[in-house]
Amino acid sequence: MSAAEFLGTVVEKTNPDHPAASRRILRTGWEVQDYLFQHHPHPESFPADQYLAKFMMDAMLQPLKDPDHSCIVSIFTPCEMVQEAGLHPYNVEGFSCYLSASFAGGICTRKAEQDGISDTLCSYHKTFVGAAMNGLLPKPRCILYTSLACDANLLTFPKLAAYYQVPSFCIDVPADASEDAVAYVRDELVGARRFLEETTGRSIEEDALKARVKRSRESLLAYEQVQRDRADRFVPADLVTPLYSAMTANILLGTPEEERYVRMLQEDLRSALPKRGKHIYWMHTIPFWSDAVKKYFLFQDSAQIVACELAQVCSPDFDTDDPMLGMAQRLVRNAINGPAERRIANGIRHARDARADGVIWFNHWGCRHTLGISRLAKQAFEDAGFPTLLLDGDGCDRAHGGEGQTSTRIGAFLEMLRND
Amino acid sequence: METEHTLYYICKYTPLELLEGLGAHTKAWNDMPAGFGRSEQLLGSNICGFGKALLDACLSGQIHELVLTSCCDTIRSLADVLRAEGTLDFLYLLDVPHREDDCSVDRFARELRRLMEAYETYSGRILSRERFLAALQKSNGAAAENGRREGCSAVPGQTSGPYLSVLGGRMGEQLFAQTAEAMPLPLANHTCVAGRTLPAGFLSGLPAAASPDDALLRWYAGVLLRQLPCMRMVDRTGRKPLFNDPNLRGIVYHTIRFCDYYSFEYSEVKTHPDIPLLKIETDYTRSSGGQLQTRLEAFAEEIQSTESARHHHAGQNAAHQPRTQTAYFAGIDSGSTSTDVVILDGTGRIIGRTVIPTGAGARISADKALQQALRETNLRREDIRRVVSTGYGRAAIQDSDQSITEITCHAKGAHFLDPSVRCVIDIGGQDSKVIVLDESGQVAGFVMNDKCAAGTGRFLEMMAGTMEMSLDEISRHGLKYREDITISSTCTVFAESEVVSLIAENKDTDDIVHGLDKAVASKTASLVARAGGSAPFMMTGGVAKNEGLVRALTKELKSAPIISDMAQLCGALGAALYAAEL
Repeated sequence: MSAAEFLGTVVEKTNPDHPAASRRILRTGWEVQDYLFQHHPHPESFPADQYLAKFMMDAMLQPLKDPDHSCIVSIFTPCEMVQEAGLHPYNVEGFSCYLSASFAGGICTRKAEQDGISDTLCSYHKTFVGAAMNGLLPKPRCILYTSLACDANLLTFPKLAAYYQVPSFCIDVPADASEDAVAYVRDELVGARRFLEETTGRSIEEDALKARVKRSRESLLAYEQVQRDRADRFVPADLVTPLYSAMTANILLGTPEEERYVRMLQEDLRSALPKRGKHIYWMHTIPFWSDAVKKYFLFQDSAQIVACELAQVCSPDFDTDDPMLGMAQRLVRNAINGPAERRIANGIRHARDARADGVIWFNHWGCRHTLGISRLAKQAFEDAGFPTLLLDGDGCDRAHGGEGQTSTRIGAFLEMLRND
Repeated sequence: METEHTLYYICKYTPLELLEGLGAHTKAWNDMPAGFGRSEQLLGSNICGFGKALLDACLSGQIHELVLTSCCDTIRSLADVLRAEGTLDFLYLLDVPHREDDCSVDRFARELRRLMEAYETYSGRILSRERFLAALQKSNGAAAENGRREGCSAVPGQTSGPYLSVLGGRMGEQLFAQTAEAMPLPLANHTCVAGRTLPAGFLSGLPAAASPDDALLRWYAGVLLRQLPCMRMVDRTGRKPLFNDPNLRGIVYHTIRFCDYYSFEYSEVKTHPDIPLLKIETDYTRSSGGQLQTRLEAFAEEIQSTESARHHHAGQNAAHQPRTQTAYFAGIDSGSTSTDVVILDGTGRIIGRTVIPTGAGARISADKALQQALRETNLRREDIRRVVSTGYGRAAIQDSDQSITEITCHAKGAHFLDPSVRCVIDIGGQDSKVIVLDESGQVAGFVMNDKCAAGTGRFLEMMAGTMEMSLDEISRHGLKYREDITISSTCTVFAESEVVSLIAENKDTDDIVHGLDKAVASKTASLVARAGGSAPFMMTGGVAKNEGLVRALTKELKSAPIISDMAQLCGALGAALYAAEL
């Protein structure tokens, strides 16, 4: 039994009768991991990626350490305002992944299903809701979310606001990318800013916010350059680093830490060896827990996942003089917002930047939009010259496995790429 | 009348009156198909069946003009696929805000204008204010008629009196008709598009005739957004009247598999202790109908029982009338695996019991089982005063005076065997049921597993097949396990592949069976929690004989279920007791 499995077993056994104690055990386990990331990072990873692992772990530990200064957010919530209000943002996808990695996801999904929540709900959301009900997820100060990009946002966050009896605010994002839509979202963001100020009693300084939004843009631009630079380099890759990037490029965008990570990565790439094996651009989330996926992509010379789509859904093309306008433009122009063609075109552009040899479109069980447009996406990627694999699975819940099938599909796809 | 130019819609926020002002003939699309066609290939399997059914209807040429709304992820995907297919003459995705505040109303008015312009371009017709106003007048009349309850749409044609309501995700026409027919009270449909009723008296705010189109559209956008909210809206407090009406006697809560919106509301509604609630889930095909009939009938029985109690008729039924020594009563439980018969004498004493395999035909097996029970008790058919049938095959049994669902019969039987029981767990061959009883043994609520074999006797049967064992053999294993294996997959197909992997890893048979027992126990415990069941539990049905499973379930429930030696005959016993009371 691994240390993570042992942690999950203890949390699972303790939780029904002593939820607060199980949360403390979980926190201790995560603190140990945080220490290991700092002092014994994975030797094969680049220094930047070692830094990222610690940075992300810190973000997920914050709500357990200081829930009263934490804010639950949806993944695409512009968090610069949250950070300026002195709150630590944490999101469904990130926290649920850490629970799953700690083998504590099962008790959460079961709890949610017992409460009547559909077993077909996205497992990130189901785990998160169950964690709240199990007492593993501490009560936040408030909740700030967007209608972008999935139905589950409109369900999970109101439910948790009612469950915890904490204030919540929804930023409604229209589907079209018009100037009207940007103006509408700007007004929404003004309301969100007021909400955060009233909730925390702390005013959000305009200059500081402007500096954060400017930093966000610079980080996004630098990351785009990193992706172009890595096209002909070998970057030792695991399954979680692209996921960390996907989380930090959204909820931690605008932080000095995110900017530092991207700069470190630029530095690391200068001394990187030439490209080895196949580069895979990954659409949607990555089932980091799957042994079948690890077999092909965990620190392998033969193939690496070079990026996760979710790290590149925000275009750096936005205003920085008016931070509210800039964040509104970022939201409205988000690649996941609006018609499928926008998302697919964004994926093709970034796969091209990274000079990917192939694309895996991950049909995460529970993500209706990703599932529903997958056939269109495969056609479009292939028309653009990228061999594409539609892979069914679950990014978070081990119970939706099918490891044998996963292994065969990825194996055959990589063989196909090598034979090309 | 439907024509090539019928403009179909799917959502209650669709601006029907405006479209009629543009000369469109609008119609809600709510038809349940027998199965799915090309949509499975284009949208995939794990997508809401409504979206797939609608796509098939568009591809088959049934629909030429369609207005969708951004109501959910499935519909957004459907719009993407339909745009790519390009088979429709007119397709529009209307983006509906999630709020109804002033900014959202302004935004929605702009969306309405865009739709109007798109339809004008397509049809070559322009908005007729007269037609628009006439359509508004018509809706205003309907709103006034249905405005009986404040802020809540009502049962059409029903001005007062008790009623039942269908809530949740959209229910197709066929299933609604089937449900309405099974229910003992009038049934209102408040699901999705069926709940379209503009706010009562909305026309009083109509802008002056000379006002520009934009003012009219803004006003109209506000009217549409102020309808009773659906679950996609941020503020859903307006839905409360749906549950708080004093005339509401019960709720059939419908969800569509792969639609998540309404399971959240269900999780709140199910804690409402005062209203009988039936949860059903379908894949939006007509094939769900047969599977649901038992639940609908059992719920109807529950409502009738509640209504009887309400009218102070409880206690006056035949159960408390003196029985005669010479009368005999029989109950036949026609299950998918076995057919069971129980015969009672006039004092309520069990004098005969039989269990035979069901075989090919429910009717033949029922006759056989009854004959066998009669032989064993030295009775003739004419000695039996009344017969009640229950179980899956109950409707096929001609030789019975009445058929009652196995849910009501299991509850009756369990209460007879042990009046302290408050929750019956029946893991059957086809499905699993959890029945919650009140102090008098009446059904206070129940849940059944949905269209999935996980957690049923069928699951164990399939796994036994994979392990090349019989059901009897699998029930004897799993007690002496050494390794605590967890079968993590909830899906039967994936679980089977996990078992194959474990066999390949040379894992001990007892360890694997224990893992399977735990999987079924966990699924069952979830059903118990969903039903709100509490100890004392009683396990009925043949699976109660599986010691390993009972032990795993005891651990999950933190309470050992009572297992009577009549466990397998509980349904037939309940039916016989009802036969005595008729």
